[in-house]
Amino acid sequence: MESIFRLIHKLGPAGIVLKAIFAALVADGLLLAFILLRRSYRKRYFAKRDARVFHFRAVWEQLISGKIPYLAWRGKIFDRRVVESLALDALEAAPPEGAARVLNFLRVSGLLQTRIYEARKYHGWQRRKALVALGQTRAAEGIAALGEGLRDNNAETRLAALRGLGRTGLPAAAEEILRWVGERGLVVPALPLENALMNCCRERPQLVPRYMAAAHGELRELLGRVLGEVATQTMDADLTEMAGDQAPEVRASAARALGNARPKSALPVLAEMVKDPVWFVRLRATVALGQLRTVRAISALLLALTDSHRLVRLRAAQALADQDEDSSVIFAAVAHTEDAYAIDAYITAAENAGIYGELLEKLRTGRSMEEERRRHLLDIASRKVAPGPGIHPGVSAEPDAVVS
Amino acid sequence: MMSHFLEWANNGLFLYYVTCNLVYLSLLLVAFYTSARHQRRLQSYRLDWIKSSPLSPPITVLAPAHNEQKSIRASVRSLLSLDYPQVEVIVINDGSNDGTLNELKEEFELRQMNALYIQEVKSAPVKALYRSVRDPRLLVIDKDSIGSKADAINAGLNAATSPYMCVVDADSVLEPDALLRIMVPVLSDPKQVIGAGGIVRVLNASGVKGGRLQQVLLPRKGIEVVQVVEYLRAFLIGREAWAQMNMLMIISGAFGVFRTDLVRAVGGYRADTVGEDIDLVTRLHRYLLERNQKYRIQFVPDPVCWTEVPSDLRSLARQRARWQKGLFDVLWRNRDMMFRRRYGRIGGFALPYLWLFELFAPVVEIGGIFTIALAAALGMLSREFFLQFLLFGYAFATVISIGSVLQEELTYKRYNDWKDVARLIGCCFLEHFPYRQMHMFWRLQGLWQYLRGDTSWKPLKRRGMESAGV
Repeated sequence: MESIFRLIHKLGPAGIVLKAIFAALVADGLLLAFILLRRSYRKRYFAKRDARVFHFRAVWEQLISGKIPYLAWRGKIFDRRVVESLALDALEAAPPEGAARVLNFLRVSGLLQTRIYEARKYHGWQRRKALVALGQTRAAEGIAALGEGLRDNNAETRLAALRGLGRTGLPAAAEEILRWVGERGLVVPALPLENALMNCCRERPQLVPRYMAAAHGELRELLGRVLGEVATQTMDADLTEMAGDQAPEVRASAARALGNARPKSALPVLAEMVKDPVWFVRLRATVALGQLRTVRAISALLLALTDSHRLVRLRAAQALADQDEDSSVIFAAVAHTEDAYAIDAYITAAENAGIYGELLEKLRTGRSMEEERRRHLLDIASRKVAPGPGIHPGVSAEPDAVVS
Repeated sequence: MMSHFLEWANNGLFLYYVTCNLVYLSLLLVAFYTSARHQRRLQSYRLDWIKSSPLSPPITVLAPAHNEQKSIRASVRSLLSLDYPQVEVIVINDGSNDGTLNELKEEFELRQMNALYIQEVKSAPVKALYRSVRDPRLLVIDKDSIGSKADAINAGLNAATSPYMCVVDADSVLEPDALLRIMVPVLSDPKQVIGAGGIVRVLNASGVKGGRLQQVLLPRKGIEVVQVVEYLRAFLIGREAWAQMNMLMIISGAFGVFRTDLVRAVGGYRADTVGEDIDLVTRLHRYLLERNQKYRIQFVPDPVCWTEVPSDLRSLARQRARWQKGLFDVLWRNRDMMFRRRYGRIGGFALPYLWLFELFAPVVEIGGIFTIALAAALGMLSREFFLQFLLFGYAFATVISIGSVLQEELTYKRYNDWKDVARLIGCCFLEHFPYRQMHMFWRLQGLWQYLRGDTSWKPLKRRGMESAGV
């Protein structure tokens, strides 16, 4: 067999191999030249940009009041980009009146119209950039162009439009998004959609139940999660209805909403929900009960503390440890459950909440309970004895007695 | 007989070399494309979206620490100040016999707690749990050491309460927005993206104060600069391209995010391997492919973790031998995945690539040097052609290295000083002799040690992060 080296050599060493060497060396040279040229270009570009930013900042007042004619800078793309980015930054930081002034500047200077045009006519990354900038302006007239972006074939563009709409925070943008998901279903990842809807529905959360009624499956669950964040006290009836929904995810969202919004019906509904057959609904209900911060939630929390699911127990313990009620009284009720996991979970939560020392002290010095019972509880709390039937003597604190 | 063997060997070497370089070139091109796309995407993305969302999932940061007395205060402070809505930090004191635990107790006012600790994944016994009074987000686990970082991470995993976990080395420095950036692909598609890795860069010589990076400087020592080029090549070309093809096989143990439930489902980290990071990713691939699940493991090039690399030959040799042992171990344990349909692209392409071009590379290269030398001695080699071939090999390898420096220039441009860039480029030309040969020898040593059953983890010499800088 002839060596490959010789075979190639026969083809002409000055041919293939030298060409390959030449190509590799040229590639090295080109890469180096590109690095050097790019460095020089960027240095000049950033120097120029810094100078223009400095200039426009110095004349900012004249600029947004229109004393400097818009045509003086709008025609130059470089200047237009600098002014726009300064205006968008100002819009982020400004109080409401200041923001209105900057938005008016964006309108009358034509910057907003330019972005709307770009968001409609451009493609690819340029369109995405325009959509995001349009959202940053928070202008209602941008919603239609953003809505068109939602219907783009490219997933990245749809996401940019969605984020733009979310950024506006306007109920009209929420309606646009909800109409679109109604038409197309879930064609974007859930999280950006939830974020956008949450931003836009805060002012008018009543929009969500309307669309939820017509939605199914994952979309319905997603809308439930949005409502879980934005629901208000006045939505009592909607939330109660949601709490009885067939879908566990929707029930869990209802529990979240009840905890966040705290309508009148929250306590009784949540107390029922801690008995739900699905563990994460019970978990959500337990967390929400803790958020209510009321002594009347303790009996339901004690039930959750003996739950079969570890996370439910941990959250119930955390909620109990965060209660304003006397920790020794709560601990007596916890001990009464005779559930080793529940007691362990409560002690852990007390330690995490920094009230463990205080609990031991109260049990050491407490005068409101019988001596034998007090000592036994102290032993359990100090983990000197395992909780079990032994805690019965002297322990008389019924869970309900705590909440009376 | 001998001449026949030498011809076969040299022909094989030539084919190996050409294939290997074609793969590298393809990876370079894919990485350029992916990176340009990522840059464009970032232009229409704001990290504030993650920061302000109440739905951004919490992350547990796990930082195993073994004898980190010098740097532990600063690194934990830096972890607690990470810019992310909900972070829980778990430091695992892995049987340190210096003052690591005392430093933590002093700095963060730790108090011992009797918290419920359920051992869902196996780890050595936990001696005590501590919660910080100063910052309740900090939990410290004090445990016995079995000389395995994986075991320490498992202990932290048992105590983690967040849906995502991020493993970092306690002696590394994360940039403040690193968690926000690494979560971008995860939050864009939480159903499919189950893990993401960030880039690890060389800390030596850069200024660090209070656990925060103050100034980025290229190290002074040649051996450290070579490692800068190696890291750029590995991350900005290798991982970028493999992740784009959804075949990422390694997320650095120094910085990566995973879904906690999946890590628990595969049994946590494996304590009896030296390459726990590549092992975990391989097992995650196996687990999900066996269940026919659609998933992605991503690489994100902009969240940065700065880490100190060995600055002496002895430590570097140990580190590289250990990496090779880890690779061998994982590939051997998962050899049944090779060329089996159910393991798809991983079994059909990624694993064979690792066997051929990563694991066997030192054997082929060192063997090749011998056979070429022998062929030359026996007069069977065209010296003229060999020199041309060598020159081509040199120029081509330099293209890949300069390509990685260009990637850095096009994207993240952390080295602003002209002189630093000039030195990086200079290193691309000089690393091939004799560093490359030494590197291959260390890796060969690693293979030999593994075959002899030596899987010990010898400590590396470190200066500590505050003293690493200027």
